[in-house]
Amino acid sequence: MANRLFGIETEYGIQVDGVCDLDVVVESMELIRCYLREDFVARWDYGLENPRKDMRGFEVDELLNDKDELDHLQRDRARKIPIKELKSDLIIANGARLYNDHTHPEYSTPECLTLRELVALDRAGELIVLHCARRRTQTRGSGTVRLYKNNTDFEGHSYGCHENYLLPREIPFQKVIHGLLPFLVTRQIFSGAGKVGVEGEGVSRVDPINYQLSQRSDFFEVIASVDTMTRRPLVNTRDEPHADSSLYRRLHIIIGDANMCEWATAVKVGSLSLVLDLLEEDALPAFELADPVGAVRSISRDYSRAWAVELADRRCTSALEIQRAHQQSAAERYAGRDDETDWVLEQWREALKALESDPERLLGRCDWITKRYLLDVFAEAEGLDWGNPEHRSWLQSQDLEYHNLDPQEGLYLMLESGGSVDRVVTDDEVDRALTEPPSGTRGYFRGRSLGKFADSVRSLNWDSIEFEANGKVRTVDLKSCVDMETAAIFNERLDRANTVEELVASFEA
Amino acid sequence: MADQFELRDRSPRPTKPIDGPEDNEDSGPRRPKVDRPNTDDLLRRMRKVDPNQARRYRQRTGQ
Repeated sequence: MANRLFGIETEYGIQVDGVCDLDVVVESMELIRCYLREDFVARWDYGLENPRKDMRGFEVDELLNDKDELDHLQRDRARKIPIKELKSDLIIANGARLYNDHTHPEYSTPECLTLRELVALDRAGELIVLHCARRRTQTRGSGTVRLYKNNTDFEGHSYGCHENYLLPREIPFQKVIHGLLPFLVTRQIFSGAGKVGVEGEGVSRVDPINYQLSQRSDFFEVIASVDTMTRRPLVNTRDEPHADSSLYRRLHIIIGDANMCEWATAVKVGSLSLVLDLLEEDALPAFELADPVGAVRSISRDYSRAWAVELADRRCTSALEIQRAHQQSAAERYAGRDDETDWVLEQWREALKALESDPERLLGRCDWITKRYLLDVFAEAEGLDWGNPEHRSWLQSQDLEYHNLDPQEGLYLMLESGGSVDRVVTDDEVDRALTEPPSGTRGYFRGRSLGKFADSVRSLNWDSIEFEANGKVRTVDLKSCVDMETAAIFNERLDRANTVEELVASFEA
Repeated sequence: MADQFELRDRSPRPTKPIDGPEDNEDSGPRRPKVDRPNTDDLLRRMRKVDPNQARRYRQRTGQ
């Protein structure tokens, strides 16, 4: 699409078979370190991060945690491992960040300009963490380490798959919030990963909802907030642009599921990127939801596909109508702009049509439809009753295994190996993305800097790298390196430099 | 029932990028030909899943 930087962060679920009382903090740390052949050296610069700063112009004293997590954190404090060691932050050859985010192995793609690069790098992340899990299984001596690309443990503990989009700072943030809500609340109808059961406070164990569209929709409680661990917001207000803060915002989208289907990842990000184009041009369709938080849940839990949504003026519409209006507005303005834009517009339109009349056409594209189909086939073969708690628990286990990253066990990956799902990228592209950063962004500079001058990299973050050259520490500031032209200049300087001294000198000239 | 999956219409619906030349690096996302899964293999794998797997799967809250 080539007009906006975007990326995806995925927190993976981790389990070790046959091990009770697993210390997931240490296990996640050890798993990340399995990426390395050498000893871990802490190089991530945390001084440049501040997740407590809010786009609305203030900073909170602390981020909130739920009660379970407060108890865990109390115990964590007794652990004598320094935070840098626990997090084990790595930047790897493809420009991605790989680290232990709290208790979950996390892989964050580098900044991308095309969906094709993004999907390949996202899929490469699955192979990278799987590689770590297999090595960890070998080194730990007992138990098999399993990773799941999902967002819940079905018992009220959720972990995220976040998207990031670069936005001009000049758009007032209140306008961002209110402009995006109708789209974000309803996007799950094609991007949801599907879930057996319902979670969250106040949900009865005998709740009649057996299956819903989204893994995450049970966990959103407020419209806007800087928090991400509890009282999760539809729009996260964290103000960490990782770019020039006078010019840019980083829109940190936490309302989205981790997708197994490449199609879902591509259309999820591609459609939102087009909606951001509409926002920038003040051309969004006019919808104001009466209860955005309630609508997220009611849409997710409505398997009838009516997906009714009440508007602030008491009129009723549907998630499909809201999505259709956004797709049409984007098509009117952006059709013919480039191949990827046309692909997204076409896929988005076709998906909405299929959701209305024949959702099984989206088998192998939409995760919630693909998963449900597998569950129905299995339930029918085994004579399972969705209303029976024991049977539903077995279906929940199948739900979990849909997201298992081991190709010998994972249900989605079995479908994929049989050619039964739609691919957006080829295996060759995914294999290349294991080590090759995206060519047109600062992700290239980050990844290749480590490839070329690893011994001279003293510290780094998303938007800067400190090199040691001629006995001095020199910083290459990447804050301005967020457009194609600047990235091309930075990347060319790196390619031409034979030594780190030459590289640093090229920025000081 | 075992044939249910095979009976679905899985024919690819071409879109512009897919119709583009294979070696065009600038083209958008495309997908390869879609084949049909083997439902017997799939059910065999699903039957191996421990019914209590999800009950044992406990995570800490993330972001």
